[in-house]
Amino acid sequence: MKFRGYFVEDIPRRRFLQMSLKGGIALAATPALMSELLSYKGSEKAGAKLALDPQILKKTIKRALEKGGEFAEVYVENRISRSILMEESKFKSGVFALSQGAGVRVISGDRTGYAYTDDITEEKLMNAAEVGSFVARGTKAVGPVDLKKAKRKSFITVKLPLEGVADEKRLEIMKRANQAALDYDPKIKMASISYYDETRGRTVANSEGLLLSDELPLLFFIVQTLGVGKDTRHMGRERLSRHSGFEMFDEVSPEEVARTCARESVAMLEAKDAPAGIMDIVMQNGWGGVLVHEAVGHPLEGDGIARKTGVFTGKMGQKVASDVFTMVDDGTLPNFRGTTNFDDEGTQMKRNVLIKDGVLVKYMTDILSAKQLKMERTGNGRRESFRYIPIPRMTNTFIDKGKDKPEDILASTKKGLYVQSLSGGSVNPITGMFNFTCRESYLIEDGKKTTPVKGATLIGSCLDVIANVDAVGDDLAFGPGICGKGQEAEVSAGQPTVRIRGINVGGSRARR
Amino acid sequence: MDYKGLSEQLVKKCLKLGADEGEVYIESGRNLNIRVRNGEVETVQEAGAHGVGFRVFVQKRMAFSSCNDFSDKALEASIESAVRFAKNTTPDENNVLPDDKGITKAGKLYDSQISQTPMDKKIEMAKKVEKLAMKDTRITRSSGAGYSEGEEEIFLANSNGLSKSSKISTCSYGVYVVAEKGEQKSSGGEYCSRRFFADLKPPEEIAEKAAKEAYEMLDPQMVKTQKAAVIFDPDVARAILGGILSAINGERVLQGRSFLAKKMNQKIASELVTIIDDGTRPKGLGSKPFDGEGVPTQKRIIVDKGILKGFMYNTIVAKRAGVKSTGNASRSGFASLPGIGAHNFYMKAGESSREEIIKKTEKGLLLKGVTGYGIAPVSGNFSGGASGFWVENGKIAFPVRGLTIAGSAFEMFNNIDMVGDDIDLTRSFTAPTFRIKLMQIGGK
Repeated sequence: MKFRGYFVEDIPRRRFLQMSLKGGIALAATPALMSELLSYKGSEKAGAKLALDPQILKKTIKRALEKGGEFAEVYVENRISRSILMEESKFKSGVFALSQGAGVRVISGDRTGYAYTDDITEEKLMNAAEVGSFVARGTKAVGPVDLKKAKRKSFITVKLPLEGVADEKRLEIMKRANQAALDYDPKIKMASISYYDETRGRTVANSEGLLLSDELPLLFFIVQTLGVGKDTRHMGRERLSRHSGFEMFDEVSPEEVARTCARESVAMLEAKDAPAGIMDIVMQNGWGGVLVHEAVGHPLEGDGIARKTGVFTGKMGQKVASDVFTMVDDGTLPNFRGTTNFDDEGTQMKRNVLIKDGVLVKYMTDILSAKQLKMERTGNGRRESFRYIPIPRMTNTFIDKGKDKPEDILASTKKGLYVQSLSGGSVNPITGMFNFTCRESYLIEDGKKTTPVKGATLIGSCLDVIANVDAVGDDLAFGPGICGKGQEAEVSAGQPTVRIRGINVGGSRARR
Repeated sequence: MDYKGLSEQLVKKCLKLGADEGEVYIESGRNLNIRVRNGEVETVQEAGAHGVGFRVFVQKRMAFSSCNDFSDKALEASIESAVRFAKNTTPDENNVLPDDKGITKAGKLYDSQISQTPMDKKIEMAKKVEKLAMKDTRITRSSGAGYSEGEEEIFLANSNGLSKSSKISTCSYGVYVVAEKGEQKSSGGEYCSRRFFADLKPPEEIAEKAAKEAYEMLDPQMVKTQKAAVIFDPDVARAILGGILSAINGERVLQGRSFLAKKMNQKIASELVTIIDDGTRPKGLGSKPFDGEGVPTQKRIIVDKGILKGFMYNTIVAKRAGVKSTGNASRSGFASLPGIGAHNFYMKAGESSREEIIKKTEKGLLLKGVTGYGIAPVSGNFSGGASGFWVENGKIAFPVRGLTIAGSAFEMFNNIDMVGDDIDLTRSFTAPTFRIKLMQIGGK
């Protein structure tokens, strides 16, 4: 439970390091890698059907509020997933997972009680309601409102449903990527292709009378390639992920993903030591937006603001960034990795402008923090699975496009670092100190991209960095990732090409 | 539920449904998480859960499935999905299951006292540690205190006749606070994690360390970009050990994805460096009687006085490498395939005291916090954000924050010139204080 700060990564990683921190109780922690706790569409099973019976949901909510409390909720989830790994041109493993469960939450003032069960029976739900209501002992109770089926606008379209896709098709996509990677250059010695898909069914019912259900498909495709040079080696990486059907691969071909990855592996074999010290950076459009996801996004989440610990506490309406800086969290971008129709508390997804022309205008909230801050619900209440309570999380977060031409931004930067892609990073949301690891970067000399340099770290404080953004391009693009805040969420991050003046770069040689 | 009987029965079911070999891994557990802030309970989360993972081989092709629904129908559907998919994976003669029926005496790993302690006492512990940490006037806010516990039972059976079980417990509590001065904010935190409830540190000790970590970093200064000594505090051991751990993963080694791949029995570090992985230490947070696929755990030397001595293997990767499994199959839950991981992984204590290391440092950084990924396992490159204290003439001069440090793994390991005697072996991933003679530090 040692505080690691919030982090974001471009791929899932093995967690045994984290596990040892948590004392090895795997069930309490998040399950592994791609094989995240997956589950299955057990709609025919007695259990799942029972939970979907509104009468039982209603009874559970009533029981949850019996000891007191002002809000109660039942969340039922089932998930079926598969992940397939191809490495060294072999299909090493296929992992299937079926998981289901339900959680009961009670809110009383600032207190939250939560219990979950993986047996969706009336008895277990009542039991969870009992445990969840522990925090509300002796407080004033609010009577639940009758459940009414609600509707939400959909931002996810599916042409080729995942369950209708034969496994051979999935393998074919992987083979194509593997071949394209190996064909790219003889220096590519190995490719690792990960395919993951899931279908997650959700039902949310609460004491405000809300009853909502939907089903979300998710695809995550990762190519990694090992480039081997004379004395150097570099693992390149490229990802593709959407809430969509299998048609994703018609829109972006697996070969294209593989070649992008292989290009990085080869290019970085020539990398020299990165310089150290404070310098200007130009960050290419796309996944680089994770820098503001971490540095600015997390501190704008409502839970930290309600606890008055975040760096943006008390700064609403104030100028916090340079005039050219506008930042948005938008859970409605069609089929994006961070998009859903409603958040995991049932709130409709929205486009939320957080910082407009440098002025702080909105925090991201879930039901609890919206109540504590007396602000609107922004649709950011998300949870990794039924094993977790919902907390304020980002969706698709980006720096909005500006007016500058990307080539002009580079040309007008005399000296510095051109960051083509980042891996991931983390932030301490209290101090606002962030760090990022570059995956592909180049020196800038006289307004031109020159020598590739080894993975350097970028660090700084969030308030400084957004005040020092002085050029924003018109070429907004996105990348998919995983955000960790005690639990994981799928997100996108984006930005146009931007320039940030004066960031501390951790290279291994002193600057000339 | 008779999980042991069930696990054995499900192995038979795997074979019946078409698997040539099968392994069943059942995990049953319970956890409790309490969070308090400003003397009030903020969240209480409690749950019991179970799940099962099936690993099947069909003509040496491997597939895996998991589910947390224990109805006959769901279990059968889960096994069937694995067997069906196994037809698609590539056959590999190395796909074998272990048959070692031995169990390591890892000492006591389960404390029944934890669940018998009333909830209110646990809430009080969290409240008390928070109150104590807030006592210092330099501490202005609490960002929360917490108590958590978990119990877990594993039942593992396979078609080689292996059937084992283990039971472990963990409890921990800690606090996170903020010190403020003008516009400045600095956070600090500390926690203590143990297998046994009675072994938890007193709240005074935890509170003091958390508060100190926050206030002593106020008024940081910036130093110039330069090369200087870097003293690693035990809190940042992970920054250097993590890279070694990834690079000795036997599968990475075989694939050429490790900077240590060709360094077996060669000098990779200063002779002051000895690194051990121990799955057997009594009450150890990383100890287990058997690994994630049932192989007995061991105590092994990974680096002996600077010489690389051991890679880590699970059964399949060991077969491919032509060696025996080292008992390092790791699972991060019932839903995961066995990977490769450490148990209690640490750098052995040296002879210098921490004070002496600082005293003998003319100029350098006492590193208390590192951000970033640590040493990259493929290239051995290291770059991270750094914070801590600046040391001048053998004394701590002032706090520093917003620096970077960077280097290459071999350069760093070989430049370790002092190793402290202050190791805390209750942690599962640790090192004493040690010094790297010279590293690149990035500042103003």
